[in-house]
Amino acid sequence: MSKMNDKLLIDVGSTYFKVSTPTSIEQHLRDFNKDIFDDLTYRCANTINSFEKDDIYICSSANGGLSTLIIGLTNSFSLKYAKNIAFNSGINIIETVMYQNIEEYSIPSDVIDVVIIVGGINSNDNIFGADLYSYLDKLNYSNVVFVGSESHSSALKDNIENLVILPNIIDNKLHIVEENLKVYLTNLYQEDIEGKEDIKHLYDITSNQIYSTPYIVNKTLPMIHTKFAVVNPFILIDIGGATTDIHYSKDLVDDNIVTENEYDRLVFKKLGVYKSKESLIFAAQNNEFVYELLTHLKVTENIFEEQSEKATKTLMQLAIFLVLTKMSHYKQAYINLKLLSINSIVLTGGITKVLTSSEIEDIISFFYKKILNSEHNPVTVLDSNYDIWTLGAEAE
Amino acid sequence: MKVVTGVVGNDIHVVANRLIELSLNARGFEVFNLGVNTYLEEFFDAVVETGADILLISSLNGEAEGWSREIKLLKSKYKNLDNLVMMIGGNLVVGSADADTIVPKYKNYGFDLVFHQVDLNTGLDTLEEFLKERDK
Ligand code: B12
Repeated sequence: MSKMNDKLLIDVGSTYFKVSTPTSIEQHLRDFNKDIFDDLTYRCANTINSFEKDDIYICSSANGGLSTLIIGLTNSFSLKYAKNIAFNSGINIIETVMYQNIEEYSIPSDVIDVVIIVGGINSNDNIFGADLYSYLDKLNYSNVVFVGSESHSSALKDNIENLVILPNIIDNKLHIVEENLKVYLTNLYQEDIEGKEDIKHLYDITSNQIYSTPYIVNKTLPMIHTKFAVVNPFILIDIGGATTDIHYSKDLVDDNIVTENEYDRLVFKKLGVYKSKESLIFAAQNNEFVYELLTHLKVTENIFEEQSEKATKTLMQLAIFLVLTKMSHYKQAYINLKLLSINSIVLTGGITKVLTSSEIEDIISFFYKKILNSEHNPVTVLDSNYDIWTLGAEAE
Repeated sequence: MKVVTGVVGNDIHVVANRLIELSLNARGFEVFNLGVNTYLEEFFDAVVETGADILLISSLNGEAEGWSREIKLLKSKYKNLDNLVMMIGGNLVVGSADADTIVPKYKNYGFDLVFHQVDLNTGLDTLEEFLKERDK
C-alpha cells in the first residue's frame, strides 16, 4: 500500500511511456500492437497495483495536439490576437489567411481540427461575404468557431454549418480579450485527448483527470530554477516521436501583447523523429544548410535510409537545427524569437537518452554560426531524469 | 462617424493626441485612439477592423515626411480603403516651411486634408465642412 502523498506519475507519449514513482523512473518503448492500457498494465502491473487509483496521475502527448487554420482581417489585430491565443492554448497553427486575399490561398490538404474566424469590432458589420463561404466549402475541417464582430454572427451562423459563436476577442478599444477562445480551445484539446479510446481506457487505473503533457510542462517552467541551473531567458526543446515542442519565455518575443502567461509554446507538428520521421527528412532536404550540416556531422544523406543508433542521433540533431532555424529571423515564421538573447537551452524528452551534451552543443553552435553568424553559445541543460515533467505533474 | 487617430512613428508627444480624442468625442465622432508611437500598418489595420470613415494622423517631432512617402504603396495593398478620408496635422516638417509648399506635397502623398501648425479646432471645422461637401 502506498503512503499518503506518494504518487505514481505516468506519461504516455506517441513513442514511449514513462512511469515515475517516488523512488524510481522507468521508460518503455511502446508496443504498437497493443492498446496503451494493455501495454502499460502488462509491463508495470506490480507498480500500478501498489498505488491507489487516487494517487495515480496520467498525462498524455500521444496525439501531438490540435491543428488550426485562422481566417482574419489584419496582421496588427485579429490575426495577431487569434494566433496568440492559439499558441497559448497549445494549438498548432497550420495556416493564417488574410481575408481580403482569401481567393489567393491554396487549400491545405490536411484535415484542420478547428477553423478560427475572426475580425472586426462589434459594430463593424461590413466584413465577411460569399468568398468566405466558398473557401470553407473547399476546406476539410472538424470544428469552426467565430470570435469576431457580433453584428456578423447571425449571418455567419446561417451560412456555416455547426458554427460555434463566442464573444469577440477584440474589444471596442481594439484590445485583446483572451479568455473565451482560450477556454474553448483548451477544452477541445482536452476532449481530443480524452476522446481517444486508448486514453479513455486509462481511467480504469486513475481517478484523476488526464492532462496533456505540454500543459503540465508549461506549468513547470516558472519553477524550473528549483531543479536546474537555468539562466533567463531560456527555451525548452522537447523532441518527441511525432512533434517537437518549444516552450519559451515571453521576453524572447518582440510582440508586446500583454497576457497572463509567462511562457508560450510552439509545436512543430511534423518534426518528430519517429512517427513523423519522413516529414522531418523532407524538411531537412529542403533546407539549404543541411548538406553542410551532414558534412559537419561526418555522415551522408544515406543516413536517412538507415535504421541505426547513429541515424536516430542524426535525426535528433537535424530536429534541433530545424526548429531553431524556424524560429530565427532567418525564416519568417509565426513567431521569431530573439535567439541571440537566450542564455540557456533546456532539452527534455527522449533526446536526453540519445545525445550527449557535447553532441547537442555542437549542433547549437553550428546553428548560431551558420544561420545567425554569431559566436553566441547558450548553456545547454539536459533534463535526463524527467524532472521537469515530474515537477509539473506533482504540482497538479 | 468613426475616426482612427494616433501619433505616427516613434513620436511620443502625447498632449495633442489627448486633446484630439477629447475634441473629436465632443463633436460626436466615435474615436479609436491608437496613441503615440503608432506605425502606418497599425493605422490602416485599425481602420479595417473598426470600419472607420476617417484616419487622422498627427505628427509633432518631424517624422511625418518619412512615413508619408510610404503611404501610397502600403495603402495599395488594402482592398477596401477607397472611401477613407485621410488627414494629417501637427509639425509636418523639420525646421520651417510654409503651407504653400507643404500642403501640395502631402496631398500628393495621399492625404485629403493637411494642417501644418494649424490649431486643432480650425482643422476639425475644416474636416466637418469637407464631409458635408462630400456627402452632398
Ligand atoms: C513637451 C515637448 C516634448 C516632450 C514630450 C512629452 C510628451 N510625452 O508629450 C519631450 C521632452 C519628451 C520631447 C521630446 C522631443 N521633442 Co519635443 N516638444 C515638446 C514641446 C515643448 C511641447 C509639445 C506639446 O505638448 N505642446 C502642446 C500641444 C497641445 O501642442 P502641439 O503638440 O503643438 O499640438 C497642437 C497642434 O500641433 C495641433 N495638432 C497636432 N496634431 C494635429 C493633427 C491635426 C489633424 C490637426 C488639425 C492639428 C494637430 O493641435 C494641437 C493643439 O492645437 C514642443 C514645442 C512646442 N512648444 O510646441 C517640442 C517639439 C514638438 N519637440 C521637438 C523635438 C525635436 C523633440 C525631440 C526630437 C527632441 C530631441 N532631440 O530629443 C524629442 C522627440 C521625442 C520623440 N520620440 O518623439 C520639436 C519638433 C520640431 C519639428 N517637428 O521640426 C518641437 C516643436 C520643439 C522645437 N521647436 O524644436 N518634446
